[in-house]
Amino acid sequence: KQWYQRRVRGHSQTHSSCFQNIYLAGKSITEKAVNRIVNGDTILIFKKSQLILHILLEAKAQNKEFKVVVVDSRPDLSGVSSCERLTAAGIPCSYVYINSSTYIMKKVTKVMLAADALLANGYVLGPVGTAMMGLIANTYNKPVIVCCETYKFCERVQTDSILYNELADPDSMLKTLNAEESPVAGWRESPNTRLVNLVYDTTPPALVSIVITEIAELPCSSAPVVLRRGAVKM
Amino acid sequence: HQHDHQHAEAVVSTQSTGSFKNHEMDPFLLKKIPKDTVSRLEEFALYLRESKKERRSYVSVVKTVNVFRDLICTADWVTARELIKIIKCYCKYLPLSQSNETDVSNVVRRILKIIREENAGPEATNLADGISAFFKSDMKPSNLGRSDLQDNILNSIVELLVELDTSKSNIINMALEHIHSNERILTYGHSNTIRDFLLHGRRARDFEVIVCESGPSLQGHRMAAELSAGGIKTTVIADSAAFAIIHAVNKVIIGTHTIMADGALRAANGVHQLAMAAKYFSVPVIVCAALYKLSPTHLCSYDPDAFNKVIGPENMLNFSNAKLHSKVLISNPDFDYVPSDLIELFITNTGGHAPSYLYRIISELYHPDDYDLDNMCVETVDDEL
Repeated sequence: KQWYQRRVRGHSQTHSSCFQNIYLAGKSITEKAVNRIVNGDTILIFKKSQLILHILLEAKAQNKEFKVVVVDSRPDLSGVSSCERLTAAGIPCSYVYINSSTYIMKKVTKVMLAADALLANGYVLGPVGTAMMGLIANTYNKPVIVCCETYKFCERVQTDSILYNELADPDSMLKTLNAEESPVAGWRESPNTRLVNLVYDTTPPALVSIVITEIAELPCSSAPVVLRRGAVKM
Repeated sequence: HQHDHQHAEAVVSTQSTGSFKNHEMDPFLLKKIPKDTVSRLEEFALYLRESKKERRSYVSVVKTVNVFRDLICTADWVTARELIKIIKCYCKYLPLSQSNETDVSNVVRRILKIIREENAGPEATNLADGISAFFKSDMKPSNLGRSDLQDNILNSIVELLVELDTSKSNIINMALEHIHSNERILTYGHSNTIRDFLLHGRRARDFEVIVCESGPSLQGHRMAAELSAGGIKTTVIADSAAFAIIHAVNKVIIGTHTIMADGALRAANGVHQLAMAAKYFSVPVIVCAALYKLSPTHLCSYDPDAFNKVIGPENMLNFSNAKLHSKVLISNPDFDYVPSDLIELFITNTGGHAPSYLYRIISELYHPDDYDLDNMCVETVDDEL
């Protein structure tokens, strides 16, 4: 944040609109989201997101009393660094893997998810596992809050997670926390074995309660309206 | 969760909800059983307490039958009522209240049902379907003396052993009815039954299997290695990707640890969310399990001590990150409750059944007085002779 502030000091029009769209957008979303956090909440977050962590740290700075459940998944396990930042700020944390998400979902009061993109048909593109969290939260009737800046809104439409996705390094799935080697470690030699490490998945709009953006708090179906408004402005 | 060894007996006895207090058998039991059998019974109890993760339920079930057969032959009893009292007294000594002993409890219930049936004699089996049999106390002294009754019981136990022996082959022979060519099947973690089911299907059909790696134990990797060694094209995905790919899958075939009385499952951790994703996309979920896993108990509490078991988090977060361990509450439950409305079909050794039919099978396999093994039913309490 400080680096960016130094860069944009005294600038051309394009620079300050970047500043607005990226940095100030994050600030605006934080204000709106922190208003939704009340004392006694147990908030579930999925893996690591700068924006969601910023929201939680800001809520703590405003002396709200709440707990956080961090749901993590393999192979990247980025939820661990979320836990580290939250405990450093003094927020009580729980940590589970995504397999146990039905086990802890009863005690959660709200679910806050970050998006990598919001597609024009309302689908939320996020790190793989986001859709599962949305589904489980819906089944247990917990509100699902997606935080997304408007620069992440996209004209593409997609109904499933397979047609357009990214594959990360499959060998990272072989990492185990104990010293034993995985039984599929020799997967490249075997013609029948494949490891697939998806990066993104799409969450259907029916599973999302609200999307918080810097201009407003919207339902997922308003995504094309925001895109049109952005196009008119340009 | 403790790993048991002989010095931890005192700790173990408090864990199993007080069903044995002093780690010694009830004196009533010691009166009725000869010394060498007692040592075998104690050995079996020790075997159960060493709850190894990799222990195959089939092996422990066969061991159980052999131990109880031994008990029936050598104990001092004259009527069936006395025999049942001895067996239930021994069950109080076993650590049966731990969540992973349901297969042993179920087999003990089968044996008790065999004893009650043989005692009631051949005419009572016709009433097995009637309401009268439910309320009738079938503990009246039968015409058979001990040796005849014992022979009948042992013959039935041999039939039970044959049934247990053939249960897996009966299940896997149905593979071709449920797998068609060019299908994509999703499975979760590791199960010996499912592995053999799919390998049997591979002999005649060509299909693909996607395996969820089932963290944090990563049993799915072992399953994928075994399936691809058997010639099936296997893909390993992370559990979080299940929702992403499930719409492209034809069916989900999973194994389970226990089947509850209403058709719900106690399965590996992570199966519930997989079943929920399958329901969302209307992908059928098929469970393959032998009937000794069918337990006449219902879910009464989500409490980890009552239903689930929470194990150590070393596979989730390395102990080298000790600073974080001390500040964060880490949960690693071993089992998952899957409600019966998420399951389409059960494939058991007696054929395919809908979850709504299981109550009928329970009434055939077990007697209502044995549903709660800790409970010494009133009619079996007073000694006849």
